[in-house]
Amino acid sequence: MKIINLLGTAVLVTLLSLFGVAHAQKSGGTMVFLVQPEPPTMAGYVSTSGPIGLLAPKIYEGLFDYDTAGKMIPVLAESYEMSADGKTVTFKLRKGVSWHDGKPFTSADVQFSIMNVLKEVHPRGPNSFKEVSSIDTPDSHTAVFNLDNPAPYMMRAFSAYESPMVPKHHLEGQDLKGAKLGNNPVGTGPYKFVEWKKGQYIRLDKNEDYWGSDGPYLDKIVGRFVPDASTRTAAMENGEVLYAAYNAIPNIDAVRLKERDDIGVTTDGYSMINPMALIEFNTKEGPFVDAAVRRAISTAIDRQFMIDTIFFGYGKPATSALSSNFSATGLHAEMPNYPANGDIAAANKILDDAGYAKDGNGVRMKGTFDLIPYGEDWRRGGEYLKQVLGDIGIQVDLRYEDVPTWLKRIYHNYDFEMNLNYFYQLSDPVLGVHRHYGTNMIRKGTHFVNSSRYSNPELDKLLRAGMTQPDATKRAAIYKDIQTILAEDMPVVNLFELEFLTVFNTKLKDAYGSAMGAYASFGNAWLDD
Amino acid sequence: MIDFWKRFSRNRSAVFGLAILVAVLFVATIASLIYPEDPFRLAGKPLSGPGLNGFLLGSDSLGRDVASGIAHGAKTSLLIGLIATLAAVFIGIIFGAFSGYYGGRIDDLLMRITEIFQTIPSFVFAILLVAIMKPSIESIVIAITVVSWPGVARLVRAEFLSLKNREFVQACHTLGMSDLRIMLREILPNCLSPIIVIGSLMVATAILIESGLAFLGLGDPNIMSWGFQIGAGRTMLRSAWWVCTFPGIAILITVLAINLVGEGLNDALNPRLRERQ
Repeated sequence: MKIINLLGTAVLVTLLSLFGVAHAQKSGGTMVFLVQPEPPTMAGYVSTSGPIGLLAPKIYEGLFDYDTAGKMIPVLAESYEMSADGKTVTFKLRKGVSWHDGKPFTSADVQFSIMNVLKEVHPRGPNSFKEVSSIDTPDSHTAVFNLDNPAPYMMRAFSAYESPMVPKHHLEGQDLKGAKLGNNPVGTGPYKFVEWKKGQYIRLDKNEDYWGSDGPYLDKIVGRFVPDASTRTAAMENGEVLYAAYNAIPNIDAVRLKERDDIGVTTDGYSMINPMALIEFNTKEGPFVDAAVRRAISTAIDRQFMIDTIFFGYGKPATSALSSNFSATGLHAEMPNYPANGDIAAANKILDDAGYAKDGNGVRMKGTFDLIPYGEDWRRGGEYLKQVLGDIGIQVDLRYEDVPTWLKRIYHNYDFEMNLNYFYQLSDPVLGVHRHYGTNMIRKGTHFVNSSRYSNPELDKLLRAGMTQPDATKRAAIYKDIQTILAEDMPVVNLFELEFLTVFNTKLKDAYGSAMGAYASFGNAWLDD
Repeated sequence: MIDFWKRFSRNRSAVFGLAILVAVLFVATIASLIYPEDPFRLAGKPLSGPGLNGFLLGSDSLGRDVASGIAHGAKTSLLIGLIATLAAVFIGIIFGAFSGYYGGRIDDLLMRITEIFQTIPSFVFAILLVAIMKPSIESIVIAITVVSWPGVARLVRAEFLSLKNREFVQACHTLGMSDLRIMLREILPNCLSPIIVIGSLMVATAILIESGLAFLGLGDPNIMSWGFQIGAGRTMLRSAWWVCTFPGIAILITVLAINLVGEGLNDALNPRLRERQ
């Protein structure tokens, strides 16, 4: 009797738990979210442009994803094994995965994606997979990466956004940048591409043959393009759209919407992107060639004021050349010369000591300050900085041009003195930070690299060491030295870590779980009514 | 002169407009005296309401004084309006005078050129010009001039066409006067009144175009203007209404005043209306 009772209880518990699971995640429904602006293509393997990142990783998958603590989550690869010298990495690929057109996913696709696509046409791929000399495919579910040197940073670049796996049979022998696949994506992901109404929306449907055992739960996801900011806010307010990432809803509205019960606001999901606001200086010519002047500027700026007034409190003052998000891997070290609240007196003293005397109008030097033409917030930032620079005797004129002219001025012609900008520091300094400082990154005509033309052999050596050092403690020591040099030389003054906002309707559940945030797959997302 | 003022003052609203315009001019001249600091100066607590924290009309998102911005912006707006109008009138007179006086091929050529400029919507054209040249006070003046002169050219041409066959002009011909002298000394003074009227109205339009450009972020980033203030404050209209309301009122009353004055000038200078009285 007792046994039967026990059994009965067990059955009941099992049933309840099953019921519980069924209750926890409901299937069905359409999830509409904002994509701002409309992407030029869906070729995430060619461009890392933001709006592509919002859509393509729902269709394509990477070998791994990363959870919010930075741990690797197996996706298309089930596991990997690194040889003792760090020069051979063997990936075991997931079996039974097929492309949306029914063809099986194999190691040949991995080999092709890395060697022929990402290393060739991806903006950051040549850097991420720099050391990969070849990939062997002993069988259809094993891929062996042969490296010239250990590349620990590579293991952080396997997400669907950073390194999507693409179907070889759709791209082989074609012009990669113009291939039909760009606008008709075929991936392995939880959602299939259905329709792109230009100027209106992109529709993706649930992949019924998805390899994952749980999810996807949503029937359809729709990415809508709404050019006007106040219309986007209104659409979120009346429940027409359920999710808006990357400040598609302006901060000022997000702060207001946060008060509502049915709308949530979060800064999670951007740690792998790691955006940093900063000022680049021309270190070769013009008024800012002297490091003392750049240090004085960094010392004068009230970073917290900029965050509070321009970004409505979302952001974190920078404390070194690296984002504080690198604390997770032990690489970040706090440095002097980055005061959060600014110190005008100290900045003036630096300039006095360096021998820059003020003239009758209190002006020590004059210059021109270019502003990144990405909208009003950056203009406000420039207006604020102009005032602060005036306080320490540096009189600047602001210059605000259109994007192509600005890019050309900064990265082709080096025809600038100081420039307000922001960079993605990404998941590892090798991927996002080295490009700013290395002598080999003075690449005329390439955007978002070392436009300061800062060149320091000692730093170059440290950067190379940081790239190949597999040991975490030793690597941290190297990066501490790097940050010390940069806090002294300041070819770039870091201002603050931007915090992008995601605004979502609380009906939408489990849209998170990946460090990639909005650039992840929505594979586990579901709607509660 | 007294006669002119009598006719002008018969239009009550014109006098009212003139009073406002003088007041705006006064504020513009003494802006640097009452607000000696740079209007971009961070003067205090951001987003203070009108009357709070020592801000007469409140402060914007960075803590800049809205009242100071309006005073300094008045100078910018009036100066741009005036310079652009003078330049446009100058070009317009040259084009209109030659094509009206000579007619024929020259007229055809000059009027086709004018039409090219007239067929492009003027504000869109101004945006395009400023975007191509990089936003600065010079490029804004040039853009406003370029989109404004065709109207003047048309008007001047029509006046010249009607005047060039009058007896007094023919008399000048028989006296052996040069064409240029006839144009400048005889015909032009006789068509000055409509030019003055259209010019005064163009100042108002120029101010509106400048504000519109600044609102769209195409203003000179180093110079305070009303349009800039509105553009910078529009995102927070729901939480800080004063940031763009006061500059908006400033634009409204200035443009209104100039229009009223323009109408008054029209009444005072137009001989046909003179007879009607």
